[in-house]
Order: sequence, then structure tokens, then C-alpha cells
Amino acid sequence: MSQQDIIAAIVKEVLAELNGGNGSAPAAAAAANGRTLNYKTDYPLAQKRRELVKTATGKSLDDITLDAIMSGAVKAEEIRITPQTLEYQAQIAESISRPQLARNMRRAGELTRVPDERVLAMYNALRPNRSTKAELLAIADELESQYGAKVCANFVREAAGVYEARDVLKKD
Amino acid sequence: MAKRQKRFEVLDAREVNKDGFVTEWPEVGLIAMGSPNDPQPSVKVANGMIVEMDGKKREEFDFNELFIANYAINTAVAEQMMAIPCVEIARKIVDINVPRAEVAKIFSGLTPAKIAAVMDELNVVEMMMGIQKMRARRTPGNQAHVTNMQDNPVLMAADAAEATYYGFDEIETTVAVFNYGPMNALALLVGGQIGRPGALSQDALEESIELQLGLRGLTAYAETVSVYGTEKVFIDGDDTPWSKGFLASAYASRGLKMRFTSGTGSEVQMAYAEGKSMLYLEIKCVMITKGAGVQGLQNGSISCIGVPGGVPGGIRAVLAENLVTTCLDLEVASGNDQTFSHSPFRRTARLMGQFLPGTDFIFSGYSAVPNYDNVFAGSNFDSDDYDDFLILQRDLKVDGGLRPVREAEIIELRHKAAKAIQAVFAELGLPAITDEEVEAATYAHGSNDMPARDKVQDTKAAQEMLKRGVTGVDVVKALAKRGFPEVAEAVLNIQKQRVSGDYLHTSAILDKDFNVVAAINDLNDYQGPGTGYRLQGERWEQLANIRHAMSPEDI
Repeated sequence: MSQQDIIAAIVKEVLAELNGGNGSAPAAAAAANGRTLNYKTDYPLAQKRRELVKTATGKSLDDITLDAIMSGAVKAEEIRITPQTLEYQAQIAESISRPQLARNMRRAGELTRVPDERVLAMYNALRPNRSTKAELLAIADELESQYGAKVCANFVREAAGVYEARDVLKKD
Repeated sequence: MAKRQKRFEVLDAREVNKDGFVTEWPEVGLIAMGSPNDPQPSVKVANGMIVEMDGKKREEFDFNELFIANYAINTAVAEQMMAIPCVEIARKIVDINVPRAEVAKIFSGLTPAKIAAVMDELNVVEMMMGIQKMRARRTPGNQAHVTNMQDNPVLMAADAAEATYYGFDEIETTVAVFNYGPMNALALLVGGQIGRPGALSQDALEESIELQLGLRGLTAYAETVSVYGTEKVFIDGDDTPWSKGFLASAYASRGLKMRFTSGTGSEVQMAYAEGKSMLYLEIKCVMITKGAGVQGLQNGSISCIGVPGGVPGGIRAVLAENLVTTCLDLEVASGNDQTFSHSPFRRTARLMGQFLPGTDFIFSGYSAVPNYDNVFAGSNFDSDDYDDFLILQRDLKVDGGLRPVREAEIIELRHKAAKAIQAVFAELGLPAITDEEVEAATYAHGSNDMPARDKVQDTKAAQEMLKRGVTGVDVVKALAKRGFPEVAEAVLNIQKQRVSGDYLHTSAILDKDFNVVAAINDLNDYQGPGTGYRLQGERWEQLANIRHAMSPEDI
């Protein structure tokens, strides 16, 4: 598979995930009118495609006002980016020839579903000499099965292989 | 020598001779560029995979090389780009007729050794030409350090307000004492929005604590995420490209801007340079950053500046690392951030490499406090040098990101910031800030002018903040309740950036109306005279209007 094909496959996978009902907001592809976003016409999203930007609870940017904060209508934990928005931003990054940035945004989109403490724990487990190969593979499986985080899961699996080859696994 | 020649006696007493200098010693990596141990550039691609890079077979790659091979190089064009002679690529960097995008495309297919060899073709003026064109954002910017030796929150809020009023797009703090992190982040957030709404703030701490403060909305971005050029040093730094790559995604998953940090000399300082040149190792760091999909990098030696600063051609290599970052299409926060020389001539000359062409952040950062209060081991310029810097901008008609300010404005602003943080502390149940402290912070030069605070109480309260989970939204509420609605609105607007994700893109900053300005909607389009960023009109008038210029009416 060429780089392009891999990227296309990842895009399809992520979109399938998003449409799969795991998220709370409406399907990404439909909201973007079936085309991918472009840096020339769609950036910044907050100005040019404001209707596409929602909080984790489906509120719009205009709903986040000082009054809404004071009355408790909008809470701190709602002010969060969604996997859909990260997918849009990834498309914008891709359109301006920044494939690595796009890939990071897609990994991030997957991690939106993983709780804060778990994300921190996974990061610490990836530090050198912290985990056995089995422990890293278990994290990869958890990412994939519990959170549908396939790109991240493969990233951790790749790390497990590299850590083994470079001798930075925990000795048990 | 029994009898000294008097001129040499005078020379030996000069500031510059208090600096440390060493001769090259390639075996331990004490060489800026072009070590005899640097590999020869090469690449082989098979089935879309790099199987040889810079003379090494894939089986021999260390984890840095594996990461670079897997993520940082466009295998579709690598062999084609590697075939272009180094001197030709170097000329394309300087040639105004070659657009930025074309150079970036070439660099997407180069290996570390090739990039090092390209840099060695350029002198410093050519490197500056390169940065002027290759810098990602059209409009240059600047960043400040805001710290104090007492971790005094009132002073920190006032200093943050002053810094952003001068024009810094980003402000960075850290702690003098380990436990103060959350309180410093709070003071910086509130003060920064008072000086100039839309300024982004960060708190340099241990990785996981830094992330936690970001998650809570007490900081707007992160920068202290270090990467290293050799495997051994990376492991000593307790990370790998994969752990750092995962951390980068963690930040983006919460909608938070971040960049990595690296710099020449760190590998020598940590004693595992493998005999390679400082620049070659730094290029690996830039490529790891690129491969991780991080939008930008703080480099330019940073805290190790004494190392390249001591060897021949070291400051040129520091400029080269900034240039490489821009050629790889990344945001660059370009150093100038540690006391590097006793000589004001050397300090100024070192600055010119970034100041004249302009970078995304010329300093990372400029010390917005006196040198003694700079907890990051000082900076190349500090608050006592503001007028020198402003006059350099005016003399050379260069936009370094700052503007002249008036004493009365600063007094008013510092007072407002001190009052606001006093109100927030009261509302959040943090240790009281007295009116005497507000007054002292308003007129202070530095922490020596501040009354002492109860440190035990403050430390406890800072830890309490973490436990209670105080968020940016709590700060918004506190400000609104206590009569600072416009500051509350600004802090809320900072929180909202984490929803749209617009500022996750390359070189993103916010203007005073919270519009994102990034290397997308403000992409650098420099192609010679009459193009790119031009200092003119109102902005130039503003920069020309320094405090002490006499007008004809005065005479």
C-alpha cells in the first residue's frame, strides 16, 4: 500500500467510526456536505464553518457565553473538542500538505473517548523501561476494543515491537 | 609571562572573556556542524519503506531512526529529493524565485545527514534569507518568560499583564518552588488576558502535571515536551519518540495547542553525543517532531546554549537549527532564551539571526522580568533591556513583536491585574492578597520589592487547587462575580479555543479579538521585495514612536 492509500484507508476507518454511533454528535461526512474540508475555503472553522463546530455535548460555539457559564447551562467539562472536529482539522492539515499533523489529529480524535487518567497512565506506560511487551500489547487491545482507537492501537503495537528490539522494555 | 602587555590586561578584563570557549573535540560531540563522524547522506526505499538511511541498514536503526524512517520522510519522493545536490537545495532556500512550498516539498524527502550537509552550504546571511522565506507564519511574533524567585502570584499577574501589553503573543512561566505550578498558571492566565486579550499562556512543569493544568483550562498551550537526538539521551530523559508522540496526541485530543522542545548541545551536555555534530543530532529532533505530527518546535539550543556558544561556528549552527525547523514546515519558537554571554555585543549579535528575518516567536522567551527573577536561568534580553530592544526595532525598521508603552499605562494595567488576581484569590478561597501587595506589585521592579507571603499556606493552597480540580471556568466565574466581566469574557474565550481546534494548526496565535492567525490563513508568502510581511503604516508609526524621541515642537 502506498502512503496515500494508507492515509485514505485511515480516513475511511475514522469516518466509519464516527458514523458508527459511538459519538453523540451527528455524522461527520454528512455535516461536511460529503466533501473533505480545504484550508483555502474552510479555515478557520470558527469563522468559516462555524456550524460544524460543536462541543462534546452538541452545543455550538455561540452557546458558550458568559451568561451560560454563570447560570450553569454550560459546564467546564463540556468545553471539549470532538472527534468530528478533529477529523475536520485533519482534513484541513492534509489539504495544505501536512500529513503528519493530520495523522496526529486523527490519533487525537480517537483519544477523545479515553478518560484523562487513562490517557495519562498510557503515556506513562509508553515511557522507556516501564512496561513489558505484554503490558503494551494489552494497552493496544484496550485502545482498540474499548475505545475503537485503531490508529492509536497500532501506534502502541509498533512501539512494543521497537521497544523489544531496542531493549527498552521492563524486565520481569 | 612575567610582564603583561597593558592592552592584553585590559582585554582579559572584558566581559566577553568571562564567557567559556572550547576548541572542537569531535569525539565527544563538541563540534557544531560537520563532525567527521556524521554519516554520509543516503536513502533506499523498498515497497514504500525506508530500508537504508544515511549509510545504515534498517536492522541497525536505533529507535530515533526507526521513528524518523517510519513517520518523518515522504517515501514517495525521498529518492528523488535525495538525488538533488546539496548546494542546489541550499540555493533554492535562498533564491527568492523558488516559493516556500517547493523547498518544503524537497525537505519532506530528505534524511538527517542530507539536511545537515545542505545547511553546511549556507553562511549566516543566507540562513537569515532562508528563515525570512521559510518561516511558516507571515507575521512574526514573540514570546516572554514571566517568573519570579518568590513565585509571588500578585507580582506574576502584574508582570504577565505588562508583558502581553508590550505585545508578546505567548507568555510562559514555571516554578521556583516545585509545588506552586497551579497557582502560577492561574496568575499568568488572568494577568495575560488583562494586558492583551488573546495572549496564550503556559506553565513549564513535569510532563504529566503540565498536561493536567492544560486539561483544566489553566493553561492554553504546552511547550516543555522535550525530544533528544540520540536514543541514550532520550532514555535518560525518560521518554521515547513513541511516548512523546502519544503525549502529543493526548494534548490534541483535549484541543490544546502544543509544541516540542529540543536544541543543540543537549546530547553533549548529557554525555551521549556519539561523536556526532550538534546540528546533525538536532536535525533528528526536528524530524522526530515532524514525524509525531506536532505543529511546531522550540529550538535554538535553549537551555544548552553555553555548549554551542563555546565552539567555533556554534551560533551559526543554532541559526541553522531554526532554519531546518522552518524548512520542515514547522512553527519555530527560536530560542534566545537563556543568559548566554556576559558581553552585550555577543548577546545582541546572537539575537540578530532571528530578529532580522523574523520567526514565529523570536524569543522563547524574552525575560519580561528582571534577570534575577528569571527562573529559567535568565534570558538573552530582559525587562531592563526593553528600551534597547524597542530602539533596535526602530533603528532597523524591524518588527520584533513589541511596541513602545507609556509609564502611566503600565501603572494602570499592573494595578488592574493585581486587583483582579486579588479578587480571584478571594473568590476561590486561596490565601488572601492584601492591598499592600497590590500596591507593591503595581510599582515593583521585581520580587525584591514585594512583601513576603506565607509560603507554607500558598504551597498548600496550590496543591488544594489540583485536588479540588479548579478549572478555567471557575476562574471565569470568579472574575465575573467580582466585577471583572471583560476579563472573564477573555478567559472564557481562551477556554473556547479548545472546542474549535483552529489553534492546533501550525504557528497559530490569537489576535486581540480571538481570531486565529496561523500558517494557513496567514501563510508566509515571502518571495523577495514587495512580498511577505512588511513593516509599514500604523504598525510602523507605533514602533517608531518611542518614549524619548524629541519632536520639532519640543525643540
